[in-house]
Amino acid sequence: MGKTLFEKIWESHIVVTKQNEPDLIYIDRHLVHEVTSPQAFDGLRMNNRKVRRPDLTIATMDHNVPTSDRSLPILDQTSAVQIKTLETNCKDFGIKLFDINSPNQGIVHVIGPQLGITLPGSTIVCGDSHTSTHGAFGALALGIGTSEVEHVLASQTLWLEKPKTFEVRVEGKRSNPHAVTAKDIILSIIKNIGTAGGTGTVIEYRGEGINDLSMDERMTICNMSIEGGARAGLIAPDQKTFDYLQDREYTPKNYESLVDSWKDTLKTDSDATFDKQFILDINDIAPQVSWGTNPGMTCDVDEPIPSPDEYSNGDANQKKGAEKALEYMDLKSGTMIEDIKIDRVFIGSCTNARLEDLIEASKIIQGQKVASSVNAMVVPGSQMVKRQAEEMGLDKIFIDANFEWREAGCSMCLGMNPDILSPGERCASTSNRNFEGRQGNGGRTHLVSPVMAAAAAINGHFVDVRKLDLN
Amino acid sequence: MKGNIIKYARDNIDTDVIIPGQYLKVHDYAELATHAMEGLDPDFHSKVKEGDFILSGKNFGCGSSREHAPIALSHCGVKAILALSFARIFYRNSVDGAFLLPIEIDQDAYDGISEGDEIDIDVSKNEIKNITKNQTYKMKPFSEIIGKIIAAGGLFKYKPDQD
Repeated sequence: MGKTLFEKIWESHIVVTKQNEPDLIYIDRHLVHEVTSPQAFDGLRMNNRKVRRPDLTIATMDHNVPTSDRSLPILDQTSAVQIKTLETNCKDFGIKLFDINSPNQGIVHVIGPQLGITLPGSTIVCGDSHTSTHGAFGALALGIGTSEVEHVLASQTLWLEKPKTFEVRVEGKRSNPHAVTAKDIILSIIKNIGTAGGTGTVIEYRGEGINDLSMDERMTICNMSIEGGARAGLIAPDQKTFDYLQDREYTPKNYESLVDSWKDTLKTDSDATFDKQFILDINDIAPQVSWGTNPGMTCDVDEPIPSPDEYSNGDANQKKGAEKALEYMDLKSGTMIEDIKIDRVFIGSCTNARLEDLIEASKIIQGQKVASSVNAMVVPGSQMVKRQAEEMGLDKIFIDANFEWREAGCSMCLGMNPDILSPGERCASTSNRNFEGRQGNGGRTHLVSPVMAAAAAINGHFVDVRKLDLN
Repeated sequence: MKGNIIKYARDNIDTDVIIPGQYLKVHDYAELATHAMEGLDPDFHSKVKEGDFILSGKNFGCGSSREHAPIALSHCGVKAILALSFARIFYRNSVDGAFLLPIEIDQDAYDGISEGDEIDIDVSKNEIKNITKNQTYKMKPFSEIIGKIIAAGGLFKYKPDQD
């Protein structure tokens, strides 16, 4: 019987395998950031261990860096300490660090692909759940905890239970790909499979609807695999993947021959089977807006907010969850999504802060102004994205429309740097999590695509971007 | 292992509410613990005692990979989480650092156990006894692999069986 792409990558990385034991898996790339690494380095020191492969380990600072003027000191002392600690750890253990002043600094999941560090067929780990992003390149990319970070630093391997396989097939063509985006596809998938639908599996996204996507769009899809509960998300590499990685700063010298070998091997065999399957037809899907406090609580932009009964299908906990979510979000069932007014707009995060995201959003706002009641910001995913956008003049479009144009970082995705919502503030956000307090204590998050966020900024409330002329 | 139940009758308790992002900069575990569950239940610290168990619904610990979540709970004295299901990263983090036991339960146990009930968990028999109500439920056994990591006392102590 044939094998899936996941099974091929897994099997080619096994160091030790025994029945009823975890497999010891070799890790090709380890990405490190300031928040989930300090205790791991402490552990190494305590046990007098070295980093086994500093040459395969790359660090940057993204989670708690301020996104304002980089020439100013970091005011939050605990953040400053964590950033300084990463600098010290990288120096002591010989790890390449893209620090706060590096032209390559940025969100770890944005810089990996941009620098050619993320490669097809490789295993990649990082102490961050959105590591799944790198799966867009046909890499097996797993988010891990700090104990596992320490284990990888010390041994370049991990003891892992082999996940099951989950095929998510995306069929059809979007009639308006500028209005209905990759974000809407992945939110639709999560709305259907649920936030635990992928638990214990690695998803492989396949089908015409995936093949048609650009690399930036594929990263948006794989990024939110974790929001569907999956261990990782994968897309088989194709010519778009190989072209993207050509001539990047860290692309291997023997790239051409690598591509030749990947073309033959990095795909699911036609007779392979998956443990689970879900099919989404995207011919008629609408822009998506989350209304609740997990990414599965999402509906079409032209729908009313469902009642807890409609949402829960008779499940008592789901119903209670929806009731609590509506209370937290200060929303009522039956309210049309387009009638929801917003206070803040955040275009950023590892989900949607790449160049294409900013290009698409800029088309919506060109020549217009952010509604007077709204504070809007754009936080490029990396300093490279920022430079590329500025070369195209996108910064001027955003600034002229009264958006703030910031330095790269995780920013308002996760409320651990100065960019946070105030209690009660309602935000149209291109990030990945709408959990209670995620963007700041008491803040209310609606997950949307960059074009939906941009249109909401101009109008002060959600609008169906399919009504706009976007071509 | 005996303890009392703190019950959160809901699904999808995420690691952002277990330990909000602003505290991920806190390096001292005792201080981290003072903020556990701050995003969900302001009364948690007045309730929680050494040896307690948390009972909850599906997909416990979803979201961020922050190991701070099981660390913060374990430093409050929580010894086990009983849930209908777990998100995988939280599950592994709990076991890897030997912080607490993630125990999967069935609907009968979930419905039958109430806030404050005294529970006795016997992992060797995969049994949960509700001492308060004199009822017994089955827990889902740990997979052989996870059981071995737990028995070893965490990821760094684990070694595969020698032939």
